[in-house]
Amino acid sequence: MMRYRILWGTLLFMLPLTVHANYQQEFENEFLTKPWAGVQIEQNFCISCHSSEQMKPEFRSIPEEWRASWHAQNNVSCEHCHGGDSKDAALAMSPQRGFVGSPQYKDVPEFCGKCHIAILTNFLESGHGKALKAGKKAPNCVVCHGSHNIQKASINIISVQLCTKCHSYERAKVMKQALFLTETRIGELANKLEELKHEGIYPETDEKSLFNTQAEFRALFHTVDVNLVKDRTDEFTTKLDQIDNNIQATYRSLKFRKNFSAFLMLSFVGMGIVIFLL
Amino acid sequence: MWTKIRHWLDVRIGLDNIIQTQVIDYRIPKNTNIFYTLGFLAVVAYGIQVVTGILLLIYYVPHPDHAFGSVQDIMTKVPYGWLFREMHAVGSNLMIMVVMLHMVTVFLMGNYKRPRELTWFGGGLILIVTVIFGLSGYLLPWTQLSYWATTVVTSMPTAFPVIGEPISRILRGGDYVSATTLSRFFALHVAILPPIFLALMGVHLFFINRIGISATPFGKIDEEKRPLTEYKRKTYPDGYPYYPAFFKKQMYMMMAYFAVMFFIITFLPTLFFPNEANMPADPFHTPQTIKPAWYLLAPYQLLKLIPNKFFGIMLQLILIIVFLLWPFLDIQKEKNVLKRPVLRGVFLFLLVAWVVLLFWGRT
Amino acid sequence: MNRRRFLKMILAFLGSITFFSFIFSFLKYLTAIPARATAANKITIRENEIASGDARTIVYQNSPAIIINRPDKGFIALSLICTHLGCVVEFNKSSQKLVCPCHAGTYDLEGNVISGPPPKPLTALPLKIEGDSIIIG
Repeated sequence: MMRYRILWGTLLFMLPLTVHANYQQEFENEFLTKPWAGVQIEQNFCISCHSSEQMKPEFRSIPEEWRASWHAQNNVSCEHCHGGDSKDAALAMSPQRGFVGSPQYKDVPEFCGKCHIAILTNFLESGHGKALKAGKKAPNCVVCHGSHNIQKASINIISVQLCTKCHSYERAKVMKQALFLTETRIGELANKLEELKHEGIYPETDEKSLFNTQAEFRALFHTVDVNLVKDRTDEFTTKLDQIDNNIQATYRSLKFRKNFSAFLMLSFVGMGIVIFLL
Repeated sequence: MWTKIRHWLDVRIGLDNIIQTQVIDYRIPKNTNIFYTLGFLAVVAYGIQVVTGILLLIYYVPHPDHAFGSVQDIMTKVPYGWLFREMHAVGSNLMIMVVMLHMVTVFLMGNYKRPRELTWFGGGLILIVTVIFGLSGYLLPWTQLSYWATTVVTSMPTAFPVIGEPISRILRGGDYVSATTLSRFFALHVAILPPIFLALMGVHLFFINRIGISATPFGKIDEEKRPLTEYKRKTYPDGYPYYPAFFKKQMYMMMAYFAVMFFIITFLPTLFFPNEANMPADPFHTPQTIKPAWYLLAPYQLLKLIPNKFFGIMLQLILIIVFLLWPFLDIQKEKNVLKRPVLRGVFLFLLVAWVVLLFWGRT
Repeated sequence: MNRRRFLKMILAFLGSITFFSFIFSFLKYLTAIPARATAANKITIRENEIASGDARTIVYQNSPAIIINRPDKGFIALSLICTHLGCVVEFNKSSQKLVCPCHAGTYDLEGNVISGPPPKPLTALPLKIEGDSIIIG
């Protein structure tokens, strides 16, 4: 009898502790912000100053815009493009730490081209690039892609609103058509690779090959030379065909597996029934 | 020819006597039910894990740079590697289910009572070892799920005030889950736990054989007057012989186990592999939801519910100790659970609470 | 032929099919050995075709690779697939570095990452020097 009392007493004593509002928050604070819970949201001085009340309004929205960007998803932050030291408040914007500020309109391609090398090369050879360097009316990277809220590139950036800022949509439309089939195919293959990942297969070589093909194709677009794109489309299609073949082969082997394990399942079910009847 | 071999063995080890006492004269009480085969099923499940595990061991590389790749190679490049990996993964979850079901049915049939307390205690330890097997094995494929679930689970001991941090550090081999963690979990899973499991299982089976099968109280055969005060092996002279009747039941259940395993492998191959289980571990990107494996979801959720971590983990420990020592706490003579409404009520409450916590922990 | 015997025959049949399927997969699993490196897989180049400080791109097993004649350390063969996202890395002769055109991942001539997003060094390919020939593979 005594042991029941002790048991129940202990359990009942614990019960009032469960009445607590923000257990989730506290748990997360206790466990998920420890050093082993991944990279800490380190103090980034660029962000903290630029989001503070003292910052002028037109600059205050920048961190918010950046956070929504594809760059932010990939840990590319302020100092990677603008230089400076994000961990040191005093030297955050110091030229000694490589701070370059924001570029002039016509210097934007070199600014982005620090990382996006192939695209810079192709852009400078293009009509857009040459016009920009000659001081004429021309787009730079920011015009089409935005500056801080940069999203993943897609064919739909080529649009009526954007391209008709300077000329008629006709040429843009021809280019979009030239790109369309290849881009769609790349999208389909990317989806199939995702599906394969859900099935437990991690298609690393094919993923890399697909990314490479897509990157080259899109870099090529920046020449805005429709004939060049059309000439080289075959080359890209061959690579995509190869990836597609690999994917098909993987699907076939998945099908074989399903059949094989179904066969084994049926034979076990059969044996179970026979033993039951025996 | 078989008779000649049998006779050869008989001269050396007394095979005939073994067969006579363990198979022919071994009588099973008439009112046993299908749940009596669950223990055997657990042994079969373990055997499957060992065989598939050894096969996987041949191609697996226990280093963070190669672990994920080696498992992918097993799944895609090695012929039938997928079969053995799926069997091992599905089998581990099924084995835990079987062991838990075995425990629940033994509890409900009151078969843990005197003089079988040690059997229950050994079984409880086996359950804990099985869960640790599951835990250590979970990290080995080095996927996002493995890495982060292990991070969370190895930090649960930090709830202890003074010794918690050191315990966590020893478990992980440092402050983070790293190559050191992988090495020690691998050693645990492959070299340390199997002999412990086999020893516990051997002792468990020895106890069962030594004291005799406990009959359910649902039939006409009843236990002797309780409490028992001297050793007496329980036998059932008018029961049915182990072979072929009970053996048949065991074989049937084994086929059912395999059928369930292959049903899952055929139609639900990703049942135990959510998306994060197919991505290589990335120590810099925490996935949106980190969850331990289903069998640890209930304790995990309970820990989340109780705001004071120390009490949370103490509650879990107390529950585990009560569970292990239950036969010593429950000394009532009545074995039939249908005649014990309080116990039934409490047990049902705990079972439902466990299931509720499990589903809650999934969100 | 009574029922029992019939059932036992079926059991034996099913049992042996299952057993042999497992044995078959088990044996195939254990005897899986990757294809021998045949002559067809190898690439042979003469040493004097690559000047010191220069490099030659080749295709090895369907993917781009490069043989570099490093001024101080001799020949090395590296895969040109960037370990970040898979773009094809380019050799920059003047700076003696390998640079990826997609996100500027930079590698030294050992294949190690100097700067940029790549997480791992470039894969080195097996290289042998026999006489005046370089053999990859």
